[in-house]
Amino acid sequence: MSALSLVSDRARALVAVALLTAATIAWAAAPLSGGSAGTLVALVVAVGSGAASLAGLVVGDAQIGSGAFDPLPVRVAADVAHALRVVPWSQTMIVAVLVLEALHPARPWHTGVLAVALLAFVLAAHLAETGSAPRAAFGPQAPVLAAGAGLTALAVAAVALPPLPAGPAATALRVLAVAAAVLAGALALPVRRP
Amino acid sequence: MVDGPVVDRTVAGGTVKPVRWSLSAHARRLLTLALAGLVIAIISGRPEFAGAAAPAVLLLAGWPMRRPAAVTVAATVTAQQLVEGEQAAVVARVSGQGGYRVQATIVAAPAFSAGAPAARADAGAGPLRVPFQAEQWGSARIGRLEIVLRDRFRLAEGRVSVELPRVQTHPRPARMDRRIVLSRLPSRLGEHPSRAPGEGIEFAGVRPFAPGDRQRRINWPATTRTGSLQLNTFTAERTQNVVILADATAAVGAPGATSLDLALRGAAGAMTCYLAGGDRVGLVIYADRLSWIGPGLGRRHFHRLMDLLVASHAGWERTAGLSRLPRAALPPGALILVFSPLLHPRLVEALRDLRERGFSVLVVDVLAAEPEGFRTRSGGLARRIWRLEQQAIRFSLTELGIPVVRWDGQSSLDEPLAPYTRRVMLTGRAS
Repeated sequence: MSALSLVSDRARALVAVALLTAATIAWAAAPLSGGSAGTLVALVVAVGSGAASLAGLVVGDAQIGSGAFDPLPVRVAADVAHALRVVPWSQTMIVAVLVLEALHPARPWHTGVLAVALLAFVLAAHLAETGSAPRAAFGPQAPVLAAGAGLTALAVAAVALPPLPAGPAATALRVLAVAAAVLAGALALPVRRP
Repeated sequence: MVDGPVVDRTVAGGTVKPVRWSLSAHARRLLTLALAGLVIAIISGRPEFAGAAAPAVLLLAGWPMRRPAAVTVAATVTAQQLVEGEQAAVVARVSGQGGYRVQATIVAAPAFSAGAPAARADAGAGPLRVPFQAEQWGSARIGRLEIVLRDRFRLAEGRVSVELPRVQTHPRPARMDRRIVLSRLPSRLGEHPSRAPGEGIEFAGVRPFAPGDRQRRINWPATTRTGSLQLNTFTAERTQNVVILADATAAVGAPGATSLDLALRGAAGAMTCYLAGGDRVGLVIYADRLSWIGPGLGRRHFHRLMDLLVASHAGWERTAGLSRLPRAALPPGALILVFSPLLHPRLVEALRDLRERGFSVLVVDVLAAEPEGFRTRSGGLARRIWRLEQQAIRFSLTELGIPVVRWDGQSSLDEPLAPYTRRVMLTGRAS
């Protein structure tokens, strides 16, 4: 792969991370007035750690300065870059966003969409770190991702659907749910491991 | 499964190093998403959060169970001796990693800078070439070679650390194309035309033929004009003894361009120039202890001089130096080129002594800094007094017949030395 395409892949992944960071935080926080106590704190933590996470991905493993002979601003920049790398900012953001969502009243489909966005954030962050193309990085894992998405949908659907009265419709839906779970498992099983 | 603890041991293909396995950043993010989703689902009693954790749990199921406990690493450096700014590479061969992909990175020591990491997309056993660059003269370890093993899904990371060997970095020689040549040279065959007649190729004059002279040197035009046989005479070609004196008692100035850096780069440039011209070059390092190598010729001698240059250590010591340099280091009639900031009073005394002993001495002033922090009026006065003292030292040396030229470390040495390289430098004892 050429250096140019590697850079463009990484740049695309960084833009995706930035958009997904903003989208997940906004999605989990909305409506801001609807959350219980602590929503504002969780939002501040999510925004701060999201920004730091993005900055850490932008900096990457780049060496800042050349050591003891650097002027003060370069050494300060090197220390900041070190802090961005050492602290797990993206994990902090994931937890903060989930807590932010949990502080709101139950809204299963909303949570389901957030789960998909968070998974996309994790995958985009991985692409930004490695600079690899999405197909090369996650092509072999596509069945697993599909199975995971299916299980998320099942969980959300189980919560969202109103309790059904006994009867053929309820039985059919249960059979459908079991079939979906089996299908999800079957999609995950054929993945080869190193 | 990972085997028991492995200790470093040397085998035919390199050194067996234990692998430290850990979660990758990607795996840590997935694990966080999975655990946070499940914990929140349990605490809040909302199953949709467990659904949010499901994809991460499934992706983590690809975690590799069979991981090598150790790999064999052989790391070699393409060059053992470098010059400041020169690039070389570490060639690493890794084996025993199974199906894992390998990436090699140099964590460079302060005197070096690392190039781009080298990675192999496949799981083959070909060499990995990681470039690095020497930034500062001296003898130092390059740093550490970090080898990272990654599985197919980049969930697990195995790290192996290898200490890289020590390499010598020579000072970057200052550019110097023209040489100072003394008017009186020792009787030793060389490449400089001297005033004495001899067997060289430089034309000296014409004289009448005497029995025993070589016929091929007959000057036929002169013979025709005068009617008697006339012979061409030539000058003798002599070598010159040059002693480079590098003052390593102080390192003042901006890091990377201190007086010591400039002194050593200037000394390296002068050594390179004179040895290339066929002169005999010696070196004296004036530091906390005196070290020297007598004049000599050739490539091997050049490396000996460079080794001594690199081994010099900066540092001001009150007991440092002698005010009289030993005879063994200074052959009679030698040209002495001094690279010094002229901050050490004993060295100044030693230079005066050299001049009084009849040596031709030339000082290249490498002082490129002044005392800082004098913001008050008395501080400004102190700085003026310091400048006057420095000027007085240089003036007294010039009055003794020791030229002092200033070199900034950036330009060629030919510029400050131009007045002395255009004609021969007269030798003579100080009055």
